[in-house]
Amino acid sequence: MRSLGVVSAAPAEVQLPSTDDDVEADRPWIVIVWNDPINLMSYVVLVFQKLFGYNRAKATELMLDVHHKGRAVVSSGTREKAELDVFRLHEHGLWATMRQD
Amino acid sequence: MTAPRRRVVSRSGRYVLELDPRERELIRQLLGELRELLALDSKDPRVRRLYPSAYADDAEKQDEYSRLTQDDLEQGRLANVDLVEASVDEASLDAEQLNAWMQAVNSLRLVLGTMLDINDDDQELSFDPEDPDARTQALYGYLGGLLDEIVDAQLETL
Repeated sequence: MRSLGVVSAAPAEVQLPSTDDDVEADRPWIVIVWNDPINLMSYVVLVFQKLFGYNRAKATELMLDVHHKGRAVVSSGTREKAELDVFRLHEHGLWATMRQD
Repeated sequence: MTAPRRRVVSRSGRYVLELDPRERELIRQLLGELRELLALDSKDPRVRRLYPSAYADDAEKQDEYSRLTQDDLEQGRLANVDLVEASVDEASLDAEQLNAWMQAVNSLRLVLGTMLDINDDDQELSFDPEDPDARTQALYGYLGGLLDEIVDAQLETL
């Protein structure tokens, strides 16, 4: 066997350092919409379709989860993406929060 | 309830507004009220509902989120008020204008609903002209009907 070990070890080392912080940071964030008694059901469906590109069936299913179960996870991703999604939901007056899964 | 004539009709990529001049005048007046409400501090109970928390159990992250977003939320809503005011007498709206109408009407509903302390999905809205909340209740109901039509007109085209 040729001694490739030295060559391949170098780049692997650069990628390696994996601390608990990295694992923590890698866990996706989820965006939760909570039931509220003011927003119209049809309005919530429209907002889910417009903001996330969901089709009517998916948007309706999520709205009904919010309505009956009190909340639904509507998107997930990096903290930055989740925060942008929450902001857009807040722009539309929906009651949205985010947390790390 | 019998179906009244529709006031927002999707037609060839635009949205025709079949609104009575008195409705348009009412909307103009409500936009003025919304503009005044948006000038209030975000912690004021009347507008608190317009600035929800993003981080329910992390005060530090929430403070940062509020700091970064409150101005944008307020400016966006003021821009919507401007767009609606500029188009309140139009016979028809484009998609961007109708979106501004939708968000302005929804902001008003959120504020009025908070004032009425609406806290139940199926809360019956009794209407008693002697009630000090009578005007707020009537407006809340009116705006709910209008919003529903604005939403339906868009759902039809999605």
